[in-house]
Amino acid sequence: MHQYAFFLGCIAPNRYPGCEAAAIKTSEKLGIELLPLKGASCCPAPGAFGAVDLNVWYAMAARNIVLAEQMNKDIALICNGCYKSIYEVNERLKHDDELRDGVNEVLAEIDMEYKGSIDVYHLAEIYADKKVCGPDKIRESVVRPLDGTKVAVHYGCHLLKPIKERRFTDAENPMWMEELVAALGAEPVQYRNKMECCGAGGGVRGFDLAHSLDITNEKLTNINEAGADAITEVCPFCQLQFDRGQIEIGEKFGIEWHIPVLHYNELLGLAQGMSPQELALDLHAIDCKPFLDKIL
Amino acid sequence: MVKGYSDPAMEEKFQDRYFHTTDSNPEFLKDVEKLSRSIPHMCFQCGTCTGSCPSAPRSSYRIRKFVRRAVLGLEKEALTDPDLWLCTTCYSCTDRCPRDIAPTDVIMAMRNLAFKWDIVPRNFLKTIQLIYKTGHGVPNNDVNRAARLKLGLEAEPETTHKYPEYLPGIRKIMDHYHMKEIADRILSEGEH
Ligand code: SF4
Ligand code: SF4
Repeated sequence: MHQYAFFLGCIAPNRYPGCEAAAIKTSEKLGIELLPLKGASCCPAPGAFGAVDLNVWYAMAARNIVLAEQMNKDIALICNGCYKSIYEVNERLKHDDELRDGVNEVLAEIDMEYKGSIDVYHLAEIYADKKVCGPDKIRESVVRPLDGTKVAVHYGCHLLKPIKERRFTDAENPMWMEELVAALGAEPVQYRNKMECCGAGGGVRGFDLAHSLDITNEKLTNINEAGADAITEVCPFCQLQFDRGQIEIGEKFGIEWHIPVLHYNELLGLAQGMSPQELALDLHAIDCKPFLDKIL
Repeated sequence: MVKGYSDPAMEEKFQDRYFHTTDSNPEFLKDVEKLSRSIPHMCFQCGTCTGSCPSAPRSSYRIRKFVRRAVLGLEKEALTDPDLWLCTTCYSCTDRCPRDIAPTDVIMAMRNLAFKWDIVPRNFLKTIQLIYKTGHGVPNNDVNRAARLKLGLEAEPETTHKYPEYLPGIRKIMDHYHMKEIADRILSEGEH
């Protein structure tokens, strides 16, 4: 069993708890145990916090990392925003003495110290890693193949970019998530401008909703053109933007979309035989039924 | 002879387009470079960043222009432009910049500097208040608690929600930077 401290973030546990439940249960079947990271907070949101004061962003993210250091476990997480905060701050603090000293001065006020003793991973990255899991192991865990469905992959920006500060090698046309989707029996579809942003990040969703939805609408148009039955992503904030965004686009622009949006862990859960109830798919703004009808 | 156009009407038309050094604060570039940990002074204005930007086609936001403003020290022009808040931080420009500049981080640095002038959209401040209060930018609610219980999860996740004893530590970190204080003050002063 590979063990990780499971960093939850905000949107997964507090808006799409199915993602949290699915991550724990699906990972177990792949030999990955996600342990509770007690007392973690918001990562904190890189857009909202980094934008006002980068120093407080470093310090707050460091506190979350220290909690995992105290468990002596690497962190696994299921949100790209969290990945940016937790992974990037961890890497920067490891390699920048001045920055680390500054952060540790603040952490000392609460009797904590950042040591740089653990690593941070996105769960999707762990799934793709053949040394820990890999697509073949995922394929073996499938009991209900998603045969006959077409799924569009949205990687999300902060998983891969800036590419220089990531373990990944390609942020222009990566295909490893498509491999993870194909392992479930679904057909991954390619679409125009695949790597475009969902539109939500950087505080833009809160600052100018119409602007952010206009970006989302462009993505939905391209995804729809490719004939996708569903969108899959690995970021609850992208999920919120695509899922609730379709309703908001209807209200604001009068354009109707009905494309189900599923976190990869929800998709994996379905393929491993979990029921829609076990994934709380009823909390999604866009009805997942048309997609479920194809596989159940 | 002074450089200019011989036609007086044309001269007048272009007069205010000239760059005035009095508008420039050279410290601005230094501040931006320090905070962004990047090198906007290397920009040769190719426009690859704007060409990669999802916000550019649907607004007047031009990332290339902001990088130029950094180089020219046009502090006020940059920090008071509301387009500053239209960057989704997608980092496409950063991946593609041929001069290895991180335009995204230039924007983040400028936002940090704007915050020092109390220029910041309200949604950012509300997130700060929520995190101070609950540890989460998006906190739990009753509908979600019920859904969590149905899933076999506990009503509160294993975060500050279940362990509020961690909140004083978080507040201490935020107080170190006077974040809550500033957010409360700006919000109580009205629209920003
Ligand atoms: S891509 Fe780089 S060099 Fe080109 S205009 Fe933008 S910041 Fe300047
Ligand atoms: S990071 Fe910001 S400025 Fe750069 S391409 Fe994305 S939205 Fe545009």
